[in-house]
Amino acid sequence: MLEQIGSMIFQTDFVFSIFRITAPILFAALAAVVAEKAGVTNIGLEGIMLFCALFGTLFAYWTQNWFIGVCSAVVVGVFFALLIGFFALQLNTDIILAGIAVNTMSSGGTIFLLYMFTGERGNTAALTSSKLLIPTVEIPILNKIPILGDILSGHAVLTYVAFIMVFLVWILLYKTAIGLKIRAVGENEHAAESVGVNVRFIKYIALAISGVFCGLGGAFMSMYYSQSFNTGIIAGRGFIALAAQAMGQGEPVGAMFSSLLFGFAQALRTKVSGIQGVSSNLISAMPYLVTIIGMVIYAASTMRKVKRRNADKEKNQ
Amino acid sequence: MKKWLSLAVASVMVLGMITGCSPSSNNSSNNQEEAKVLNVCNLVNGNLGDKSFFDSAQAGLEQLEADGKITFKTIEMGATDADQPKWLETLNEVSDSGEYDLIICGTYQMPDYLKEVADAHPDQKYLIYDDTTYVGQSPNVANMSFKQNDVGYMVGVFAAAMTTSGYTNTNEDPVIGFLGGVDSPVINDFLYGYLVGAQSVNPDIKVDTRYVTNYYDTAYGKELALSMINDNNVDIIWGCGGTAGNGGAEAAQETGKAWFIGVDSDQEQTFAEELAAITLTSGLKNVGDGLIWFIDELNAGNEYWGQEICLGINEGGVGIVTDKNFANVPQEVQDAVLAAQEAVSNGEITVPSALSDGGNAEAIALRDSMQP
Repeated sequence: MLEQIGSMIFQTDFVFSIFRITAPILFAALAAVVAEKAGVTNIGLEGIMLFCALFGTLFAYWTQNWFIGVCSAVVVGVFFALLIGFFALQLNTDIILAGIAVNTMSSGGTIFLLYMFTGERGNTAALTSSKLLIPTVEIPILNKIPILGDILSGHAVLTYVAFIMVFLVWILLYKTAIGLKIRAVGENEHAAESVGVNVRFIKYIALAISGVFCGLGGAFMSMYYSQSFNTGIIAGRGFIALAAQAMGQGEPVGAMFSSLLFGFAQALRTKVSGIQGVSSNLISAMPYLVTIIGMVIYAASTMRKVKRRNADKEKNQ
Repeated sequence: MKKWLSLAVASVMVLGMITGCSPSSNNSSNNQEEAKVLNVCNLVNGNLGDKSFFDSAQAGLEQLEADGKITFKTIEMGATDADQPKWLETLNEVSDSGEYDLIICGTYQMPDYLKEVADAHPDQKYLIYDDTTYVGQSPNVANMSFKQNDVGYMVGVFAAAMTTSGYTNTNEDPVIGFLGGVDSPVINDFLYGYLVGAQSVNPDIKVDTRYVTNYYDTAYGKELALSMINDNNVDIIWGCGGTAGNGGAEAAQETGKAWFIGVDSDQEQTFAEELAAITLTSGLKNVGDGLIWFIDELNAGNEYWGQEICLGINEGGVGIVTDKNFANVPQEVQDAVLAAQEAVSNGEITVPSALSDGGNAEAIALRDSMQP
């Protein structure tokens, strides 16, 4: 059995699939990172992504242009993120409740909107065509290199965008003025306020950025990963992303690695499911199990670090 | 100006209602003299628009209404966890009203609610489709099930004959795929027939069986199908898991290395062009035709209360699509499928079922032995 797994893992399509699985989770994780940095917990990722997935497909279909579809998904993502912001920041609702409300609204709301706009109620499989999907790119030169080319070339545009965004978010947070303000507000909003930062405005900005990433993630789901929209399409990826954000200590690079870990586990689950006598129900827990193990290892290592630091302190004293 | 416009629109709508209603009411009163027009309530524990199960039931009832045999009302109760409390409540409500001669519901999620309500309303008649949990325990409930193992058998024959037929985009390896929703008896009933049917064509055939573990994650369904195609050279995939199963069609279309088979309804008709093009056939489970059969039987004086009715090919309950893309596959494949259909319908072949005692375990054992 191990041999079988080995032969499946040491294949380029396995590594390729890790990136494909990771991309939507990474988008959502980045959305969580930016929001959390400004001290707002955006728990509505799942629902926002579902709305974005719907409108991405619809606009692509109406305009017969995938790019407009993706842009519309982003606009819708920003709209719903700001809606959460409006309820939480303007009307002082608990932001967790506002997020839950968006999640709840999304499952019935998308069916309603889908039916209203298209007359379809279940999915959009009748509207899709491959020219409405997010295209894949072959990277010149790189795609000529054996193995590496097979792994890194030929992904969807948004897959590359997801990983580039990790870098851009890091720059945004640590190298720009607005990033400094976001972090300041998240760290201590009263202190930030005292030096003249418009706390509410910064929180709106952070939520809007988080909405952009939800839009990209939602579009990725319904316009590339799956070719059509259905109401269960996000399938918990928004919640997994919240875990990835926490596991990555709220940092963009950390969130990327924890998303990749989850992507690896999911890809492994796919491969293992083809092995004789393996129960699909049992291995469906695999990605979550790997996440838990990852967190335990991480917690153990930080605890050792903290202990060592404390011990050093005592010595110095 | 605006006022006049709205008045005009309103009057047109009212006229439309009057003209729309009058023929049907005439119809029913005419028929009432011949046979009693049953008033039916159709409870959907989900939403219409699934393009298979519930839509099929709805189409059957619409047909019956058009033929003047029934009048009916469909209530969509929603599918999510939040909607579930409504199911029992609605069932009770329509039963208490006493307006309906027959109340219809379906799926494995309803029997517990139905048992409770049916026992409390002994004079009300009920029909539950695609479930056999409490067969015979309530004298006012009829259980309608479908021989999905027979569907599986015909699809299995088709897939096994196709994979080595040398048709475009197929490879030489005798390996076919099954993309199921959840590892459960009803899905495994499809699977059992599929395995046995495939073996009847080629005893050495391998069947790569994967389960999405739900019915909605199309993306993961596609991921599994890609793994089947890349790792095991699967070139025919039967998607048997609702929307999640459609991931098989997407993977087949994108790789250009495989074909797809649909389930429940004629999926070739429900897909957009490109996905339809790679859908060669579909295994059918015709809930609507089953309901028409049931009402016709009732009118003929055959009652099935307190019994199980298992509908097969002969009752129109199940079948396989044999036109459109199917008509373009090699003639010997078509002949093999038609022969299998004939043999199943006249009883020459009895297909084992995963719903029988110990059947699910047998299906699982066979599945594991045929996994590549």
